[in-house]
Amino acid sequence: MRSMGRTDLPAEQQRALRKATHWVWFTIAYTSVTITLIAFVVGGSQAMKTAWIEDMLSLIPQIAFLISLLFIRRAPTRKFPYGLHRVMGVGHLVAGVALLAIGGNLAIESVSGLLAAEHPAIGTVHVFGQTIWLGWFMVAVMILVVPGPFFYGHAKAKLAPVLHNKVLFADADMAKADWTTTVASIVGVLGIGIGWWWLDGAAALFISLGIVWDGVKNSRSAVLDLIDQRARTHDDGKPHPLADRIVHDLEAQPWVRRASVRMRDMGQVFHVEAFVVPERNRVRLDQIEAARRHVAGLDWKVQDVVVIPTTSLPPETQD
Amino acid sequence: MRVGAAVLAAVMAVALTGCGLTVPTDPEGTLDRITGGELRVGASPSAGLVATIGEGADVEVSGPLPALIEGFAAEREARIAWTVGGEEELVDGLEAGDLDLVIGGITDATPWVDRASVTRGYPGLPGADGRSIVLLLPLGENALQSALETFLDGEVK
Repeated sequence: MRSMGRTDLPAEQQRALRKATHWVWFTIAYTSVTITLIAFVVGGSQAMKTAWIEDMLSLIPQIAFLISLLFIRRAPTRKFPYGLHRVMGVGHLVAGVALLAIGGNLAIESVSGLLAAEHPAIGTVHVFGQTIWLGWFMVAVMILVVPGPFFYGHAKAKLAPVLHNKVLFADADMAKADWTTTVASIVGVLGIGIGWWWLDGAAALFISLGIVWDGVKNSRSAVLDLIDQRARTHDDGKPHPLADRIVHDLEAQPWVRRASVRMRDMGQVFHVEAFVVPERNRVRLDQIEAARRHVAGLDWKVQDVVVIPTTSLPPETQD
Repeated sequence: MRVGAAVLAAVMAVALTGCGLTVPTDPEGTLDRITGGELRVGASPSAGLVATIGEGADVEVSGPLPALIEGFAAEREARIAWTVGGEEELVDGLEAGDLDLVIGGITDATPWVDRASVTRGYPGLPGADGRSIVLLLPLGENALQSALETFLDGEVK
């Protein structure tokens, strides 16, 4: 019998994965540049500092994605009989927890700054014989870095469903919303500029709560898959339609009376256990193997399939 | 929330251009108050930079750094009220709103960054002796800091 899990990909997914990897590297390069640019102007604005740290945090999902790729290609072995697909979920969880912890810390920092009425200080810089308020440079840099995440966010959002990759999907989602962070930091700096010192802390709080919320979403999604909730779509929107399709196709076999399925998301691919109640007391091996092959042929994500004849269907399975 | 942020940004852009606001503006209006009024300066004696004779209301402060501040005050048409003390007392004064400016042998490695606005360092200051000398201001009085740094950029080579 050939090995069960899937570690190779069909042509369409291979193309999508190559593109996704390019975009991830592009994101790392782009974000490194923006982190460096912001470092020159970060100054005394809490909102700028928070946006800056958020930029650094956005590198974590990229790195988690690239490291996971090295592992999930490996074929199942005796030691890891399900393959190493779960590495992607672990990376997702690490990214989520990092966002949660650091976002929470930043939120506390901005609230305590507001309560203590700390007035943020932004001085001037002396360039080409002119003394210019540093706040203008902050605004200029932030306007400069707005468009990047918009482009790579939308590109990744198109690839994530093709690959059924939740790390990529969550990352794209955050990138698409990144402009709100940038606008908030500009609002904070301009607030300082017109003497509304509290606007900076309020903008910082807005940004850090956004980070916390991203952390909650990511951790939740990663944990739910790691504790084997039934497989859902890439955006966790609804139970994955493949389960219904598998049950439907199995019940269409003449020798099957009823069927049900238990399907979990390993990260990109699913692990499927199908239960069938046969019409008669005898089942032929070739019928089971044909059913198994048919299910495995339904979608590239469902290669790790077992079909189990049973007298009744377990109630927790989907029929 | 996103729309709110965009609207707020737009409102502020209008406020910036339309209402004759200057950027930066002091939250406590210090620069406006000292212009044509009184500049309350705390001086911490430091060899070569700040010298003091006498105490109380009759104190006389001299040296290259006080001379610069007198120039700044003249530009703003302000009288100077000197207070002489140790750095910590003077920083307390800044925080309490009793002082507008603190000078002394303070460098850009100062530990007071959390309690006062710190200007850029001016190593070219007469008497600085290679140290990168900074001045302390009330936290977040950014218009005052801009005005002072602009003045110092013009005076200190």
